[in-house]
Parts: sequence; structure tokens; C-alpha cells
Amino acid sequence: MTNFLQQLINGLSIGSVYALMAVGYSLVYSIMNFSNFAHGGVIMFGAYFGYFFITLYKLPFPVAFIASGLCAGILAVVIQRIAYKPLMDRKAPFLYFIISAMGVSIFLENIVVATIGPTFRTYPAIFSELPIKIGMLNIGRIDLMMFVISAFCLGFLIYLIDFTKIGKAIQATAYNMKASTLMGINADRIIIIVFAVGGILADIAGVLFGMKYTVYPQIGNITIKSFIAAVFGGLGSIKGAVIGSILLGVIETLASGYFSSQYRDLIAFALLIFILIVRPVGLMGKVTEDKA
Amino acid sequence: MVIDDLNKNGGLLGTQVQLVPYDTRGDGTEAVNAVKRLTGQDKVIGIIGPNASGQAIPISSVLEEMKVPDIATVATNPKVTIVDGKVKPYNFRVCFIDPYQGAAAAGYAFDVLKAKNAAILYDVADDYSQGLTQFFEKTFTEKGGKIVAKEAFKTGDVDFRAPLTKIKESNPDVIFMPYFFKEVALSSKQARELGIKATLMGGDGWPSEQLISMAKDAVEGSYFVNHLDFNDPEVAGFRTKYKTAFGKDVELNGFLAYDATNMLIDAVKRANSFDPIKITAALETTNMTGITGKIVIGKDTHNPENKDAAIIKIVNGEYIFQQKYAVH
Amino acid sequence: MDLSWYYLKGILMFAGINMIPVLGLVLLTGFTGLFSFGNAAFMSIGGYTTAFMMIKLGVPFVPSLLIGGIVASLGALVIGKFTLKLKGDYFCIATLGFGEALRLILDNFQYFGGARGWAGIPLKTNLTTVIVMDIIAVIIMANIVKSRHGRNMIAVREEELASQVIGINVFKTKMLSFVISAFYGGIGGGLLASYLGFLQPKMFALTKSTELIIIVIFGGLGSISGGVIGSLVLIILPELLRSFANWRLVIYGIVVVFIMIARPEGLIGGKEITFKGIYNLFKKISNKNKINLGNTEEGGS
Repeated sequence: MTNFLQQLINGLSIGSVYALMAVGYSLVYSIMNFSNFAHGGVIMFGAYFGYFFITLYKLPFPVAFIASGLCAGILAVVIQRIAYKPLMDRKAPFLYFIISAMGVSIFLENIVVATIGPTFRTYPAIFSELPIKIGMLNIGRIDLMMFVISAFCLGFLIYLIDFTKIGKAIQATAYNMKASTLMGINADRIIIIVFAVGGILADIAGVLFGMKYTVYPQIGNITIKSFIAAVFGGLGSIKGAVIGSILLGVIETLASGYFSSQYRDLIAFALLIFILIVRPVGLMGKVTEDKA
Repeated sequence: MVIDDLNKNGGLLGTQVQLVPYDTRGDGTEAVNAVKRLTGQDKVIGIIGPNASGQAIPISSVLEEMKVPDIATVATNPKVTIVDGKVKPYNFRVCFIDPYQGAAAAGYAFDVLKAKNAAILYDVADDYSQGLTQFFEKTFTEKGGKIVAKEAFKTGDVDFRAPLTKIKESNPDVIFMPYFFKEVALSSKQARELGIKATLMGGDGWPSEQLISMAKDAVEGSYFVNHLDFNDPEVAGFRTKYKTAFGKDVELNGFLAYDATNMLIDAVKRANSFDPIKITAALETTNMTGITGKIVIGKDTHNPENKDAAIIKIVNGEYIFQQKYAVH
Repeated sequence: MDLSWYYLKGILMFAGINMIPVLGLVLLTGFTGLFSFGNAAFMSIGGYTTAFMMIKLGVPFVPSLLIGGIVASLGALVIGKFTLKLKGDYFCIATLGFGEALRLILDNFQYFGGARGWAGIPLKTNLTTVIVMDIIAVIIMANIVKSRHGRNMIAVREEELASQVIGINVFKTKMLSFVISAFYGGIGGGLLASYLGFLQPKMFALTKSTELIIIVIFGGLGSISGGVIGSLVLIILPELLRSFANWRLVIYGIVVVFIMIARPEGLIGGKEITFKGIYNLFKKISNKNKINLGNTEEGGS
């Protein structure tokens, strides 16, 4: 029984990692209706930003955290400006967006490799390494943090989108950009806000990931699991992305623990196939357009 | 660095030596392309490296076609030099092979550490890891030990707690972790986080500055098989020289590259020629002592025969040499 | 630059081998508008099948290649059934998923060598074979594109809903395109296997699929000549610039974004280099000269 509970905890913590990564991605998707493949790159940059602010500039953790968030947010907006806006203005086919996003993600990963180098970096231990022990079970502190923070982010986003004026503007823009512009909403500004928030979320994911698992240029690859989790939970639904991620983490871990650890990654893909056959819109996706 | 020294001292057989470096990015196809360029375009007389078996194996056909010898540094897969019972005429290596390493670890665990139950966590996507695992398992069970758990992950994975929890459940005396320092650092930390108290063991992929900086406490008291004793006084001279020249501590590959280069130079001197074919013949009869130990190349295997494995224990972040262990 | 023939031959073969999967992708992504992140998987199916046929069953090279291509196509039939009904994004992620899943399975499949790879594949690929196959591949592809099927694919790419309305079976069209691209991928994989003599699953990871797509984009999405020239340029050039290898992918990333923004038609620009086209070009140039001469004469007299 303890084994099962411990695996469950393992699964929840991995799920939180996926969830944090998926949230920003899903937000952008639900508004812009396109997969920002560059999201993984921003996450990775977030991890590096945090790392350098702490080690090179010796900033205290909270300051470094906020500073890296700002940088990542700016990065996300810059990416939107350079790689996506021109396509949007031209009403380019959706294929072009994906290709452009792919280009950005390749660029981000490799510029780090070419300049700073591919070796991994370790965050200095800011939080205690000792796990929290509950009976026979062990919970890592950072894992707990990630879980709590992803729940918090989700809550914050729900609040932002469902209950604030800006949120309503975002929803309107997502629903119909032209009409909302007619209503006086500055669509361009909304898009910037959305990408910026997405970037900040990516940064949070990146920094926490870096603290727990080291910082390296290929962090973007783990994001693929988050994409799958987001599809699983329903692209376009942020709640779905979070729930999908947590579920993915748990199922993946339990399968790995009880069947075979070698095929762990296959679980993610198997889930993907399963959901595509049974319910292609995802767990929480709705057939009609639905945001957040 | 070796080449620089050599050139300063009058060069090799009276000529200056030029080094042409290429990065294979860990990819077999890149390696083939690079070697084609080295042999066809740059017309090198000998190649040092690559470091991984995954690249050393595919280049053999190019080497044979162009008749240029290659000395792999840390490529431990047996298939680098011998395939289907036949030795590959132009491939050599300067390190011992996987079967040897895996067996050494298993032997030491059983004989010296008196471990009865062992668990293995390995990287299923890495040939090196699979190789070591295979031979660890074989030797350990042959000696009478029991493998109580054998779990896998994939290169690039960062979270090992699912397989580790399973391993914890099986209660092993020793956990064999035959993969590279980054994953070792992460998995050992996670293992300790989960409350696993077993002794950890590994292979030559372990030693690295980052392992210690990341997971010092986690790997405290662990053992690993290595090609040499880092603290051997004979080696110290090389280490200081390296650090002065490059500002960093030398990694394992550095030691072996040093020996490989010297092996090539030795062969050239003995062949007294720059003809790659003659150099290859000379390589087959190599008998020298490098900083990683005695290197006697077997004609039929192109491997260093009976090279000692060094067992290292990590104590307080330092690599403490335990003993030289040979597989019985 | 003084290039040794041996080295050059190797690069040309490598470019030629990769050209075939690229052509397949030109059809799938360029002409049909389906963005697949997993076509390297078809290369691996073809590669391993070819190796299996040659080593274990002793089948000669060319039939093994063809069988490799066919098996890859069968794989596409299966995968396509699940994925082709999906919207663009989903299709991307799904193909990505399949690509990686297949690689994982191969990593664990010890009979094919697993992650450690399969060595000892007979080396049958030579420059002549590659060139011949390339020419055949281009001719067949050109014919497909000109045919009714090809036009259907373009229609589906441009406006899926409208195509359905005029009676095109969208799913079948997409499937045809997918299967053909898989066949091409499989052949490419087989050629690669027999060129290196060694196969490892990680040769066909996401990076390979991405590389193929980049070449297609660079050459121009809907252009066969683009695929040909793109392959040659993007494989030969990096070899010549080996010292800058680290920056190669950085530049690719920038180039891809740039192309999307500034010139989505890529290098060739959506048109094809045909013999007629070259003839017309010459005619244009010689006409210009004739006019010049005429003017001079008039001016002179």
C-alpha cells in the first residue's frame, strides 16, 4: 500500500511539472487557436534566466524569480512580434504559424547550445533538499511547491479570465477578433497581454523545473509531453490542460511502477491515441468553441 | 596539448603535427560524414576518438576503405573492434570493454562488498548502459547473487522516482547505475529522497565535477569502476598540466584521449613512417604504459588486454582509490 | 577548394539518400498541407525492414528496398487511419507522438539491436544507385502531382471544406498522400541503412523529422525542384562549413522563421524547374540580345 501511495505522490509531482508547462501553452492556444511550439523554448529560457540571475548577479531568490518572469514575458512577446504577428496580419494559412513556431523553437534551443554551451547547470540549493516525511512516504519540497503553484496558477487564470474586465476582453477577442475590435477592444494589446502572461507562466515552470532537475538546453523536449497532456485534456481548455497533465503524470508513473518502466514514455503516446479515438476533443474540450 | 608538446620538441619523425578536430555531436551519421572528410579530404594518418561506441561502430567501413586507423577513447561496446568473431582491421581502442566493466562491478559487489541482492537501474536508450547492465547481471548471477529488480529509463528522463520506488520495494543491498553523471546525479538524489539506503555503484560514466557539485551527499559512499585512479601520483602531473593549460579539471575522456594520442605517436615512431597502413600494423603490437595503465594491444582483438579496472569510492566528495580489480 | 572525390561522393550520396524522404514530405506537407513531425519514423521502418530482409532472409538489395517502402506505407495506412481526420495542430502532435513512440519501441526491441543499434548491414548503396533512384523518384512524383490525385491534394490544402463540396474525398486524398510520403521515406531509410551499414533508433528521432521539414520549407513548400535543390544545398553546405556546425541549427531556425514571414514560397518560389522553363528562359535572354542588336544597328545607321 505504501508503495502505491508513494507512486501516487510521484505521479502527482510529475503531473504538476507537466501542468505548469501546459498552462501557458494552453492559454495561448485557447486565445490564438494555435500551438505555440516555441513555448518549450521560453520555458527553457526561463530556467536559464533564473539561474543566471541567482548565480551571476547574486540576486536573492524572490527578486531573481520576478526578474526572470519579466524577462520571459518580454521574450514571449518579442517572439510573437517577430514570428507570428506578420503572419497574422497577412492572414497566412495556419500551417505557416506552426512552421514559424518550430523555427523559433529550434533557434532558441540551439542559440543556447552555440553560445553558452550544452552542459547542464545546477541551481544552488535554495530550498532544503530534505524531503517531507509522512510515515513511510517521502514528498520532495519542490514537488509540493510545484503542485501548489500550478493549482494557484490555474486558479489565478480562471479568476483573470472569468471574472475580470481584461479577462472578458480576452474571451471576446478569442471568440471573434474582428467583432471585439469593433466593440473597442484593442486586439493587439490583448494579444500582447496573453503572450506575456504565457511567458511568465513558462518562466515559473522553467525555474521550478531547473531547480528540481537541472538546467539544460533541451528542456523544451519535455514540453512535448505537456502538449500531449494538453491535447488529452482538451486543447483550448486550461482546466483540461492542468487536469490532463496531472492525470498523465499519475497514469504514467503507476504504469511505470506496476508494469514496465522502459515503456513509460509510450504511455503518454498510448493515452494520446486513446483520446484521439474515443474523444478527439479531449477530456474537457467541447465540440463548439470554448475558451478557458 | 600532447600535439603541442610534441611539436615543441621537434615534432614527430621530424615533421610538425597538425590536429584536425571535428565534433560528431554524438551522432553516428555525423561521425561517418566527419570520418569521410578526415580520411578523404583532410588526409589524416590516424584518428583519435570518437568517444562513444554508437559512433565508433559505423565508421569502420570508412576506415577500411580508406585504410586509416582509428583509436577510440571511451568506446566500450565490444562490437567496435570485433564483429561476428572477426577483428576489424582499422579499429582500435584504448579502454576496456563493457563486458569487462560490468563484470568488474558485479564481481566487486559480490566478492568485496558482500552484496547478495542487487538492483539495476539503466538507460534503455543507451548502448553503453545496456552493455554494462547485461554483463553485470551475468557475472553477478554467476557468482550466486540475485538481481532483485531491473528497471529502465530513457536518456533525457529527469524523474526516476517511479522505477526507484519499485527498486526500493525490492530491498537490494546494492543498486547498479551504469549511466552518465547527469542522470546519476539526479537519480541518486531522488533515490535518497525516497529513503533508499542501499549502496550505489556505477561505471566509468560517473566521474565528473558536476556529479559531485550536484549530488555530493547522495553519492557519498558509492563505488564505481574506472579506468584509472585519479589520485595516482603518476597521473597528478598530467592533471596539473591540463588545468594550467585549460583552466578546468580534466574529465575521464581527457585521460584516455591523452593515452590514445600517445599510442598513435608511439606507433608512428615504431613504424617510422607516416603511411597509415604501416602505422596500423605497428598499432597491433602496441605495448606501452599510459596514464590509464598498461596498454598491450591484442592482435586478435585490437583491445588493450587485461587492463586493470580501478574501483573508486566516493568519500566526502573525493575519489578515493580502493583497489585494482581484475575479473576472475 | 580542393575536394577529394571520395569525400564528395559520400556527401552527394548522403544528400541523394535524404532527398527521397524529402520528396515524400514535399507531397505531404507542400502539396497536401499536412504538417507531419513523424516522417522519420517511416524512414526507420523502411531501414529496419530492408536490413531485416537482407540480413535475415537474404533478399537482394533492390527488392529489400521496395519491401521496406511497402511496409512503411502499410504503417502509414494504420497511422493515417487514426490521425488524418484530425485538425492541423492535432495532426502535428499525433504524428510527433507516433514518431517518438516508434523510436521507443525500436529502442527496446532487442532483436533489431535495440538502442545499441544494428551493425553489419551489407553495404550496397553506391552513388549510381542513389542517382538512379533519385531520378525515378522525381519523375514519379512529378507525375503524381500533375495527375488528378495531385490536383486533389492541392485543393485539399487550399480549401478543405470547398474540396469536399465539389466531391473530393478528402480523407482518401490525404491518405494517398500520406502513404506515398511513407513509401518514399521507407526507401530513403533503406538506402541509408545500406550506406552506413549500421542503424540506431536515435538516428530517426524528432531531430531527423525536423531536418526533413526544414529542407522542404527551404526549397519551397509546393515545389519538387525545391525539394531536390533544398536537399543538395542543406546537406552539402553544412558539410563544407563543418567548423560552424554549432551554429548551423541556429541559422536554420532563423531561416525558417524568415522564410515564413518574408518568402513562404521558399527558394524556388512554388514554381518548378522544368526543361520547358529553362528553354523559355534561354529564349527570353536571347530575345533581349536580339533587341539590343536591333537598336544598335538602328542607332548606327
